[in-house]
Amino acid sequence: MLYENGSIVVEGLSKRYEIYARPADRLKQMILPKVRRWMRRMEKAYFQEFWALHDVSFTVARGETVGIIGCNGSGKSTLLQMVCGTLYPTAGKVKTGGRIAALLELGAGFNPEFTGRENIHLSGLLYGITDAELRSRYQSIVEFADIGEFIEQPVKTYSSGMYVRLAFAIAAHVDADTLIVDEALSVGDVRFTQKCMRFLREFQKHGTLLFVSHDPGAVLNLCDRAIWLDKGRMLADGPAREVVEQYLAEQHAADRATLGEQVVVQNSLFKDESINAGATHLPDMGVPKDVIDPRQEILNGCAKRNLIEVFEFDDTRIGKEFGAGAIRIRGVRMCVPGGKAIRMTSAGEAVDLEIDANVLEAIEAPIFGFYVKDRLGQRLFGDNTYFSYHDKPLKLSRGTGLRARFRFRMPILPVGDYSVDVAVATGTQDSHTQQHWVRDALVFQASDSTMRHGLVGIPMHAIEIERIAP
Amino acid sequence: MHATYRLIDPLSPYRALARNYALVVQMAKRDVKSRYRGSFMGLFWSFFNPLLMLTVYAFVFGVLFHARWNRHETNHLAFVLIMFAGINVSNMFSECATRATTQIIENANYVKRVVFPLESLSWSAVGAALFHLLVATIALLVIELVAFHHIPWTVVLFPIVIAVFMPFVAGTVWLLASLGVFLRDIKQAIVIATSALMFLAPIFYPLSMIPGKYRIFWYLDPLTVIAMASQKVLFFGELPRWDHLGLYLIVSMLFAWGAFAWFQRTRKGFADVV
Repeated sequence: MLYENGSIVVEGLSKRYEIYARPADRLKQMILPKVRRWMRRMEKAYFQEFWALHDVSFTVARGETVGIIGCNGSGKSTLLQMVCGTLYPTAGKVKTGGRIAALLELGAGFNPEFTGRENIHLSGLLYGITDAELRSRYQSIVEFADIGEFIEQPVKTYSSGMYVRLAFAIAAHVDADTLIVDEALSVGDVRFTQKCMRFLREFQKHGTLLFVSHDPGAVLNLCDRAIWLDKGRMLADGPAREVVEQYLAEQHAADRATLGEQVVVQNSLFKDESINAGATHLPDMGVPKDVIDPRQEILNGCAKRNLIEVFEFDDTRIGKEFGAGAIRIRGVRMCVPGGKAIRMTSAGEAVDLEIDANVLEAIEAPIFGFYVKDRLGQRLFGDNTYFSYHDKPLKLSRGTGLRARFRFRMPILPVGDYSVDVAVATGTQDSHTQQHWVRDALVFQASDSTMRHGLVGIPMHAIEIERIAP
Repeated sequence: MHATYRLIDPLSPYRALARNYALVVQMAKRDVKSRYRGSFMGLFWSFFNPLLMLTVYAFVFGVLFHARWNRHETNHLAFVLIMFAGINVSNMFSECATRATTQIIENANYVKRVVFPLESLSWSAVGAALFHLLVATIALLVIELVAFHHIPWTVVLFPIVIAVFMPFVAGTVWLLASLGVFLRDIKQAIVIATSALMFLAPIFYPLSMIPGKYRIFWYLDPLTVIAMASQKVLFFGELPRWDHLGLYLIVSMLFAWGAFAWFQRTRKGFADVV
């Protein structure tokens, strides 16, 4: 084989769907244009065309995991189908090496009249697995699918969850070099989804994974790299986190655009604004005393404490902000409660996250908010000012300065890099326009953590072991 | 990607069979089983069905019509058995032809969702039909043994007759399966065409009934040579016309080659309209 098992090379791939009014027109299209050319007459097309994919090129190396994101109709499934070989490209090439297992849409490739057992057998044959091999894996497939008696029933009687369970179980047992998963996990229940995720994580270690999802969280969680398709064109190909964030910003802009509000996603937003107004003073909120982890004092005294180092807000972060622009965030800080900005804190300490902003156009009811994200861009926690102010909306005129303050105890964080997105919006919790969203406004690093598992640790109010009656 | 065949190779239809043999067998088995799924007697139907049909024919043609095959063969039951040998051949063909027209549409999943060797569906249709032919032939021989206490040795040549027939049947399935995707009306036309072919072959009457100068047209019916050969080896105990069978084999293989190439060329369009 020319190509390494598991690698995918896509070159200038395009797909034109030919939409035929009648099936017979498809046959005419195959024959008549050649006849007309031979008779030296004008060629005529018997279809309406629709370009589902336009000149897409990328290369996936063996062992890479690539997420593909984009809204409905962006060409994701078309792309995957061509990679699998079920669709013929109109132009361009797909080269793949090794065995590809695909989970495309629901119940891919099952014969609805056959029982689960028969479909397992048939799929095995399609993947080129020998009878003996298949027999030895059969029990394991049935256990993975875990659909009980239904394995002996025709697949047409299955629920959508059972379909996916069986399909995934088979795909997991064919020793694929490349696995293609198209939005298939969304119909399984929590236990099964987790089982699949465990399998996918294991699979990633040696195989190539192409993963399509509408859920940016799942893409971030699983993929190092992401490709963003929009209307059949590839808009971005790069580190998953950057691509997903761009995609989300663009989505927000598109959502608001349908409501007639303009949210600009570009690099040069607010470039020449320089309004300096005094900050309105917010009341001192005091430091909460109730949630101090009893280990805090001990930990603070020893090397085990979870040190968190904060890096400064860099207001020249071009390309990491978007918004409609009625308010501009001009500074973000982490402070000791009511005090000075800090460079270093530790888990369990109270901190203030302060967001300063200038009002550029008269607005009402601003909502400030933030998210703390981990290295992968998964949102760990965050909050906003909506509920605290929704019954007393602020009316603000042009030129006002604002400072929003969130006081919280820094949770325990696993060792790693973190960042904070801050944003100010107008509207309500459910329907709002982002006026200014600054991605990675603050970055910080956690070190020396006692925490190993989970995304965020919370302070424990008490930890004890007691003797009880056996 | 799809397995590719060198269509210039006249043996490509059989490479499709060799390459997907396990799949073909599996699909054919499934096909046979599913026909009687849920019925109480299951597979017994494929044996009793032809037996009961034979009884009906015996009653109508033998008892009511007093039909005779020709001057030499005057026994009514003999007429029914000779006719039955021809009908079995015709059934094998019409079963495959009729189902071929909807084969691809019914397996839309295999067109769109997985990389499936669609070309092997033709062979599995032939395989399922072969099974039914085998059972019906056994039924015929059982009656023959009971009624005449004798089965001619030429029965052993029957597999050869059918082997000559198979490329033609497989080719028909490829051609109709492909056309059936694009021309949905073909399904209706095929029902008429298969009965026309059955009645225009010497199945209900001997070819000798046809005046000599018209016989050439009867030989254009693809069922004629095979039906006559079946009657000879299964009932008359005569050797088939090897020259006819040889010529038939050549034409049949050429047809299969062309139909296979057509199928492979047009399959790219299936996904657009299924």
